[in-house]
Amino acid sequence: MNEMASQADLRAPPLAGYREELERAEKDIAELESRRQRHPGDLEKRVRLAYRLFHRASLTGRVAHFESVEGAVLETIHEFGPKEDLCLLKANLDFRFHRLAEVRRDLQMSPLLWGRFEGRVLVADLDFQEGRYEAARRGFERLIEENPTWDNLARLGHWKSKLGEVAEADQLYVEAEDDLTAKQMRSYAWLELQRGVLAFTHGRYADAWRHYRRADEAYPGNWHTDEHFAELLAAEGKFQEAEAMFQKVIARSPKPELQQALGELYLFTGRLQEAQPWLDSALARYLESVWRGGVHYFHHLADFYADVREEPAEAVRWARKDIEMRSNFSTQAAMAWALYRNGRLSDALEYIRLALSSGVRDAGIFSTAATLFEAAGENAEGQSYAGVALQINPMHHNFHMHH
Amino acid sequence: MADHNDPNAVNHIFSDIDYSPADLYDFFGWPTAGGNNVVFALTFASTPAAGVLDSDLLYRLLLTSHPRVGWPDADEISLESVLRYFDAVKDKYLGELKTAEIRVTVETPSRVMVKFLGFNCGNFSTVVEVNKVVAIPTPDGQMIQAFIGGRDDAFFNDLTGFFRSINYAPQFYHVPLTMTEARELPIPKTLLELEGNDLFNYRPDMPEWGFTQPDGTTPKLDLPPGPWTWNGDKFKKDANGNFRFVYDGRDCRAGQNCNAIILEVPHSFITPATADNRLVNGWGESWVRKAAHKVESIPDDPSWLMHPWKAVREKELDEELRKYKLVDTDGQPFADAALSEREDDRQLGANNFWLGPHFIKRLAHLGWGFGPSISALGLKTSFDHNNSPVSVYKTYDLVATAFPRVAKTLFQKLNMPDPSWNPKGLPIPLRRPFEIFIPNVCAVDMDTSGTWPFGRRLEDQVATRFLSMFLDMEAQWNGKKYHIDMLGDQALWNSAPIVPKTPPNPLKNDKEFLDQFPYLAEPWPENW
Repeated sequence: MNEMASQADLRAPPLAGYREELERAEKDIAELESRRQRHPGDLEKRVRLAYRLFHRASLTGRVAHFESVEGAVLETIHEFGPKEDLCLLKANLDFRFHRLAEVRRDLQMSPLLWGRFEGRVLVADLDFQEGRYEAARRGFERLIEENPTWDNLARLGHWKSKLGEVAEADQLYVEAEDDLTAKQMRSYAWLELQRGVLAFTHGRYADAWRHYRRADEAYPGNWHTDEHFAELLAAEGKFQEAEAMFQKVIARSPKPELQQALGELYLFTGRLQEAQPWLDSALARYLESVWRGGVHYFHHLADFYADVREEPAEAVRWARKDIEMRSNFSTQAAMAWALYRNGRLSDALEYIRLALSSGVRDAGIFSTAATLFEAAGENAEGQSYAGVALQINPMHHNFHMHH
Repeated sequence: MADHNDPNAVNHIFSDIDYSPADLYDFFGWPTAGGNNVVFALTFASTPAAGVLDSDLLYRLLLTSHPRVGWPDADEISLESVLRYFDAVKDKYLGELKTAEIRVTVETPSRVMVKFLGFNCGNFSTVVEVNKVVAIPTPDGQMIQAFIGGRDDAFFNDLTGFFRSINYAPQFYHVPLTMTEARELPIPKTLLELEGNDLFNYRPDMPEWGFTQPDGTTPKLDLPPGPWTWNGDKFKKDANGNFRFVYDGRDCRAGQNCNAIILEVPHSFITPATADNRLVNGWGESWVRKAAHKVESIPDDPSWLMHPWKAVREKELDEELRKYKLVDTDGQPFADAALSEREDDRQLGANNFWLGPHFIKRLAHLGWGFGPSISALGLKTSFDHNNSPVSVYKTYDLVATAFPRVAKTLFQKLNMPDPSWNPKGLPIPLRRPFEIFIPNVCAVDMDTSGTWPFGRRLEDQVATRFLSMFLDMEAQWNGKKYHIDMLGDQALWNSAPIVPKTPPNPLKNDKEFLDQFPYLAEPWPENW
């Protein structure tokens, strides 16, 4: 008998997103933790646990979760030795927190890792972070030639977005998206956010909205997407909505940079009293991270002391620490701005020239350059950079977060 | 990526990669109804569960029917001849051959869309419920039986033994995914344990080493630092003079399920010229929806569902396929697992003709491992190993160097155990390995029983039959010519100086197959 149906259920269920993925990660972690208790010698499951912990931390962005990963990785390396996959995980973790010297040590712990595809990805990332732009580009291109994985396409896309090849960057993000399946919706949403950021930093807010919404649709419930919504709302002058969105995001992921953003939004709208607790909290968290040995927030501290608290000597101190770790156009521009705020214009000009020599095409950096050159009486050059900054992003004076 | 004929699918051997419903397990095909119908079964990982399909997947069964034409140069045993054959196959598959398709997309976890494309009666589609036998009438008045859903996995095999024979480290050791050089370790492949091979020899203190347990875990060891070498010069023997088999014959897939697309199709639906086109070639593919189209697919276009018999325009279908990414292919058992080294970029399905030269080199590499093992047991091998007393690790850069060693293995006709494969007694030539694996299709001869290599029946022990390629089919044992099931004969092992005394792989499935459609047994109960 033919049991053919004539009509199926037409309405697809909403896509699974952040909540479901986090639940799965938590469940896996619980199972693996339980196994660790019973079979502490099962290296494979211990490695899996470390990776799952990293997965969870990447989802939540919570410091405590990243600390759990670090603890698990160090403990497992201590018990089993520097296994390649553990060293790779540690290298990725260290890279995320700007501990670049540690990344090198991690790769050296398992010497063959340097030559592996995954190791070479990190080496190219290091090249970019440390200002060896051409080496980074060649590295990404070689990796893509070898195996055009979505993440390496995105890395090259990021490179091009910073160095002014905007259309090529977007095309690379599109190519990266095409490599992803429905089983990788978080990665797809992340790529859509990058495309949105590309649009946002060039003043194309409607395009940014389109990409952010698509990210939200593809991977619902992600606070990281909401963070982008909040910034865009603020840039558009929808301050109340932005405020509500920032508060919502902070409730889910109380990262200090988000608290600073909310504080700065209040400053931007003249609500100084409301700003202070958020800024105080952000600063306390930055400094707490430093006391615990962290280096990830040096850049934020430099920005914070240069513009929020206006303690330019402190700004220079943190900018110098940052640049000692990774000298690139971003840290050089931050240093230039801190020096300028500290009244050391000629030193500031040196650093901004260094940043510009990289070939970076960023409205914020060009705007900094314009200010510095005009302050130095180099008006023509200043006006030129101001003009290009406007060309790149006509909206660059609008609210934006410090990333 | 799946390892064809290997339900442990290579990726799952690693610690941090989950099962995927795109991992194809097997492709079966055999004639029924006196050669008037043909059954095809594509099996794949039962994720999310047996009988529950993943709505991001698209499966294709590709079919083509053509005459049984013998390769004219089949008796010319030369490299040139076999390379000409690969070229001819390429021309055939890229040129004249018309391929029809049965495409399955998952509408909901319990309902699938089945589209019939490129058949002579025109394109049509229908929606069917999973886990039910359904009859699908065709526009030309015929009937197709279909079952799509959960079944017992029809594969029965000592996978761990196979991995031990090819030194596949990730089954036995914790091998990070990054360490690609530590997969097949560079020591001789072998059917008999090597004296002093501490890397893979059986460990009495760890009898379950490398065997996946009911809870899904696999006892493994920490991979010792390299170099991974073996410096011995003989096979291992016990105090009684017995070799130790790397297999123990257990069914590593016992009690486990798969999802399956099973179709029984009239031959005349595939081709109007059934009398001439006695071969039906089939192979399967899995595709996963691209992320970008996952977003677009809400809500989906209901036209398919409202008009299940609606003819399909080619253009629309191409658009559909473009929304998916090809992940896996499956045609011939062991075409990938044993011959293509499970490399993802070699998942080519029927179009594997460009792998022909690699196939020769790989077969020679395997031959240096298995050939001496066979000789040591007192059996004749088709592989020329220069009377080596023990397995040898040897790889080849040049096809021309590999070919003389493997010529007989490639060209010999694979004897069948008895005449039951050819019930009509027709002058059907026995198949040769080079014809079986290139192209990578399940080539069902409608005048045979469809037993491998004339198709693939559920009860065929294809892993043991694959090993039989290395037997010299001109030799005799117990007064009978060697044949493809000889290594499954318990009497042979009883008389061989070996322990354990078992055929390498189980002789039958853990569940009885059904004698009627859908043929694969009911799934085992699952806990979730």
